Amino acid sequence: MPLVEMVNVSKSYGTRAVVKHVGLKLEEGMILALMGPNGSGKTTLIKLAALLTRPSEGSIIFDGVNTECGDSKLRQLRRRMSVVFQRPALFDMSVEDNVSVGLSTRGNDEERIRTKVEDVLTRMELTDLRGRRARTLSGGEAQRVSVARALATEPELLLLDEPTASSDPRNASIIERSVVESNANKGTTVLIATHNPHQAKRLATETAFLFEGEIVERQSMGALFESPKDERTAAYVSGRMA
Amino acid sequence: MRGALSGWDVIISGVAKAVQLILSGDPTVLQITFLSIVVSGTATLLGALIGIPLGTVTSLKQFKGKSAVVQVVNTLTGLPPVVVGLVLYLVLSNSGPLGFLRLLYTPQAMMLAQLVMVMPITMSITISSVSAIDPDVREAAMSLGASPLDETLIMLNEARVGLLTSVVVGFGSAISEVGAIMMVGGNLLGYTRVLTGAIVLLTNQGEFAEAIALGIILLSLAFVVNILLTILRSKFAGTSSYTASILVSPAESRSA
Amino acid sequence: MDLRTKLWIAAAMCFLVVGAVVVAYSARPRALLVIATTTSTVDTGLLDYLKPYFDQKFHANMTWLYLGTGQAMAVAARGDADMLLVHDRVRENAFVASGNGTHRVTIMYNDFVIVGPSADPAGIAEATSTVDAFQKIAAAGASGNAAFVSRGDGSGTNAFELRTWSQAGISPKGKSWYFEGGSGMAPTLRTTNEKQAYTISDRGTWIKLQSTMGDTLNLQILYQGDNGLLNPYGLILLNETRYPNIQSQLANDFFLFMISDEGQSLIADYKVNDQQLFKPVFGKPETIGLPLETAEIEYWVAQLEANGMKPPSWVSANLGG
Repeated sequence: MPLVEMVNVSKSYGTRAVVKHVGLKLEEGMILALMGPNGSGKTTLIKLAALLTRPSEGSIIFDGVNTECGDSKLRQLRRRMSVVFQRPALFDMSVEDNVSVGLSTRGNDEERIRTKVEDVLTRMELTDLRGRRARTLSGGEAQRVSVARALATEPELLLLDEPTASSDPRNASIIERSVVESNANKGTTVLIATHNPHQAKRLATETAFLFEGEIVERQSMGALFESPKDERTAAYVSGRMA
Repeated sequence: MRGALSGWDVIISGVAKAVQLILSGDPTVLQITFLSIVVSGTATLLGALIGIPLGTVTSLKQFKGKSAVVQVVNTLTGLPPVVVGLVLYLVLSNSGPLGFLRLLYTPQAMMLAQLVMVMPITMSITISSVSAIDPDVREAAMSLGASPLDETLIMLNEARVGLLTSVVVGFGSAISEVGAIMMVGGNLLGYTRVLTGAIVLLTNQGEFAEAIALGIILLSLAFVVNILLTILRSKFAGTSSYTASILVSPAESRSA
Repeated sequence: MDLRTKLWIAAAMCFLVVGAVVVAYSARPRALLVIATTTSTVDTGLLDYLKPYFDQKFHANMTWLYLGTGQAMAVAARGDADMLLVHDRVRENAFVASGNGTHRVTIMYNDFVIVGPSADPAGIAEATSTVDAFQKIAAAGASGNAAFVSRGDGSGTNAFELRTWSQAGISPKGKSWYFEGGSGMAPTLRTTNEKQAYTISDRGTWIKLQSTMGDTLNLQILYQGDNGLLNPYGLILLNETRYPNIQSQLANDFFLFMISDEGQSLIADYKVNDQQLFKPVFGKPETIGLPLETAEIEYWVAQLEANGMKPPSWVSANLGG
């Protein structure tokens, strides 16, 4: 059974269809890179997978549970996943407190929270920034904290929406490393939207191409780049499309 | 013949006597000041306890007529205090509907009058502050699986400077209010006479030294309020400028 | 959750503060007596003077609403005060007749004086009567040499002033020389001072303001002593059946206190600048040309005795007691 299954999912905002008839299966332990030009619906697809918005059509099934359920059930499901948005969206508190928010809301005790936070901060090389007020960080540092916050809860599913788009190489590499480690050591399933084909090739076990709200094709590893099956994919990977 | 400075010596000698009164710890002055702070402080506290949660809920939830509610609340911040005083007086009067409560001419009536004026202020500023929070932050809270309570707490934390501002602005307007509290409080000596009412009475009776003394104290309190606002304003520098702009809202300018 | 803890602490503190305030203000150690009175009894400092004696004797907290006679009666009619102390016999009698008040006696008096600038442009120092003085002021006002400041607040003083204008055949309202302040006696006097105009004031407030303002009060008494200028004060007990929520017991105590030997002596003893401001007159209204109040006097003398208090010496003498 796949961890996440989208069956004929569509999402429209008013009359504008952003995601159209998407069928998607995410197996456990997989890292799926989602590529596509601006406006292709990557962010919306991530939000749908994160259960932050409901589909206009179709259904999303998480770990065998249909997500067309009540709010409290939905919240329970959301607690098994974590999201990293394009913009860090950190809370107005210290780095350390930001990272521990997810653990606190899940009702962990002080001791456990401290241990896990310590662990994540170390892994993401954030220990000397721990007391800094989140709003004072640079873009790259903030995004790193955002990822740390997401990983602290050891989610089954990690969703990232262009996490390193505005990061410098050092931050980007720390973030990528932690995603790969999490997947390798803890079996975290990852869905990562990215513009960067190199990143996709580095991280992903499979890559899918999204164009105007539809999944055009999907291949394993870097095959999408070597031998794209669709001409739109070909245009995108060769840089002829924005 | 009246010299060039003759008009000023009433004021100068008044100020001199006033400073003496304050420094000597005159019991009446202390009592009136204490009562002012208690009445306005309680009204502000209650106004915050009611206005902040209401404002938060209004801001975070989508419901029919939401924009109408926000409009009404914003309009209420401009409620003329004397109108509040008039209405409350008629309601609390012995021949009015709530006369049996015997609240007229009590400090509680004054707290009530000030509460009516503070509540829209705290609610309005809260709505502005919470609405100005980056929507991504709310999504982040949701994505962490926060319960509605935790989500709200996170939002409140984000808006904490704005909420504090609403309290400070509320207090500022409460402590300087004069019409309504005299109408429902009766300005009774030792019982419902606060700084503003006392200043009016003393001025009318020509007791300028005492009036100036109380005026100095009231000014000092207003000064403290403004310093607090300035500190809060500087803390706003870290967040969105929209939030900072609510400090120039009608609610705040009326507190002066 | 760190934020949750903060919330609990904040909420606890708030409730503690509010609770403390509520408790503090519900526990009123002394019963409060609210007297609706006219400004002259307050501005002269008479009530401040009487307060400690009354408070101590009856373990109470005497307070007063600073209003004009008209306003005071309106407030009392609504049952928002416990007691009425005003100075307008016509309206006082009407108040009792309407059933809002049950008992009324004249307890003290002072007189009105007409004050104005020392130059006396209207020449009222030579007036033959109060009405004549007013006519002189109107004449001077019409030719732009004088002005008059009225309280314009429905007070007893104001009522007296208006009755006098009417007797003089003059309607001053709207005239360029006539100003209505809508305020108490002391503020009216100070406005008159600023404008160097004429006004009518009760002697008590005049004396008090003289002592407060000293040299800055550039006015003089220009006309006085006329019997028509006598200004009696009435004390009215409110109808406790009609106003069940008032402090009727305490009001009764205050009534007794004011008419007793002690109260009347205190009124006589109250001096400002060595001048007596009010003259006690309970039990002898006829001495200032007012109708007898025999029934009331008898009732109250009996009440005094029942409460272990003494009537003023002249009353006992009258009743041969």
